[in-house]
Amino acid sequence: MKLKIKRYLDVYGIQFKNNLVREAVYRTNFLTAVTVDLIWMGVEVSLFSILYANTQTIAGWSREQVYFFLGIFFSSDALFTILFQRNFWAFSDLVNKGELDILLTKPIHPLFLALSRSMNLTAVFNVILGLIISARYAGPAGFTGGWHWLEWGAWLIFGLYAALQMRFLFSIWIFWTDRSWAFSRLYYQFFAFATKPDTIYPKAIRYLILTALPFAFIGSVPARALLHGLSAYEYVGAAGVLISLTGINSILWKKGLGRYQSASS
Amino acid sequence: MKLQWRLAALKNGFQDATAYRVEFLFEILGSALVPAAIQWVLWYALFQLGGATQVAGMSYMDLIHYTFVSLLFSQVRGGDHDFELAEMIRSGQLSNYLLRPVGVVEFVYIRGVASRLFIAGLCLTLGVILAQFLGFSGPRMIGAMFLALLGNIIHYQVGAALATTAFLWEEAYSLLMVKNMVVNLLSGELIPLNLFPPSLQWIWKSTPFYLFVFGPTQYALGHWSHTEFFTQVGIALVWIGLGRALIRGTWGLGMKRYLSLGG
Repeated sequence: MKLKIKRYLDVYGIQFKNNLVREAVYRTNFLTAVTVDLIWMGVEVSLFSILYANTQTIAGWSREQVYFFLGIFFSSDALFTILFQRNFWAFSDLVNKGELDILLTKPIHPLFLALSRSMNLTAVFNVILGLIISARYAGPAGFTGGWHWLEWGAWLIFGLYAALQMRFLFSIWIFWTDRSWAFSRLYYQFFAFATKPDTIYPKAIRYLILTALPFAFIGSVPARALLHGLSAYEYVGAAGVLISLTGINSILWKKGLGRYQSASS
Repeated sequence: MKLQWRLAALKNGFQDATAYRVEFLFEILGSALVPAAIQWVLWYALFQLGGATQVAGMSYMDLIHYTFVSLLFSQVRGGDHDFELAEMIRSGQLSNYLLRPVGVVEFVYIRGVASRLFIAGLCLTLGVILAQFLGFSGPRMIGAMFLALLGNIIHYQVGAALATTAFLWEEAYSLLMVKNMVVNLLSGELIPLNLFPPSLQWIWKSTPFYLFVFGPTQYALGHWSHTEFFTQVGIALVWIGLGRALIRGTWGLGMKRYLSLGG
């Protein structure tokens, strides 16, 4: 078991080194990527600024609490961008062009290889920026701070795992369809639900983003947990949703592999 | 001949967009329903949960109407053909188009706009039907759609000019993404622009982006008089003229640097 873990860590280390070299070569890319992300964050913050110019609270969330939530959301999303985003964009080519063949022959899980090949290290900047925004508004938002910042890290990983499972759920259909662009786009359309606190949604949508498509797990649930704490029911529910999603994805992956015909051969 | 290649490009663009019908349908549904749901949720939170009765002079129903009507026009403003131009410059594929007896910027636009015209037709039909139920005027909807189509041209012109940065830095993707995000907010697609605080209203008024969604919606909902509408059409035409000059300038400069190496 220890050997197996070491093998995976070694492979991951090599992938990381390759990506680091690639990022160092394309320095202009770093600047432009950071600019795009900054504008995106600016648009999200501006949207709430405009709304709060017309009202004091939105569904019980003060301006500072929403900014605290946005900080967590930006960091969580940036973490996903660093580790997985590029790999999911390349996922459909893996299946369509038969590139998955080579991964299936390796003595390591093909999904691990498929989802760890490319990293977007420029997004580290966004994780830090998200943390700064959270830290700036933590006090006014009512976050107690101190050792609770460790929880901040844990909730970030929770959000990352939820995003990973959902993105996979939207990508796996490539085994059944010719192109998966529509599903990928659909993911990003639904992703918009993650950019607002879940309590502002009507019951039906809220139920959807807390269960079948848990986009609220990316930033909203972590923010609520850090600000007010969750009930035992919510903790159990969140765990249940993520376990179910993982199970469904595992089944779909196995079924998908069963259909895979190696298009390139 | 001039009309012939344009019609051929239009037909080609439409066939390309609808080759994968399920994808096409998903794209329309995804880009229409989710943003509408998000907007509606914001109004729900402000009015139903927050207890507000008016926001920036608009009631809950005013905002719901805005959301549904703006949805029809936001489907028309889009199109990724400016990204296609940037990619052609970056990869060197532009050379193939330079050999043809047609203007590349116009060719890419016509091919790309085909699907938008189809969507515009659908949205207009929907809009006219909706107008009967919500008490709006059908002819106003036609005028508003005309303004939205002018907005589509301006949007492409801005994108085509920005795409020429690919002549300088090879990559214009990020800049076009930034443009799309700014357009997203300043076109009125996310929220009505009159929600901007008075001190910040100049921001959206000084760009042509409000003509894409906010302007057509205002006219369709009867918030703009006919005089105001025709003034805005005039402004849109001025922006189109400026856009044309901008494209000539940027493409002229860019072509002098073009090496056709690709990669």
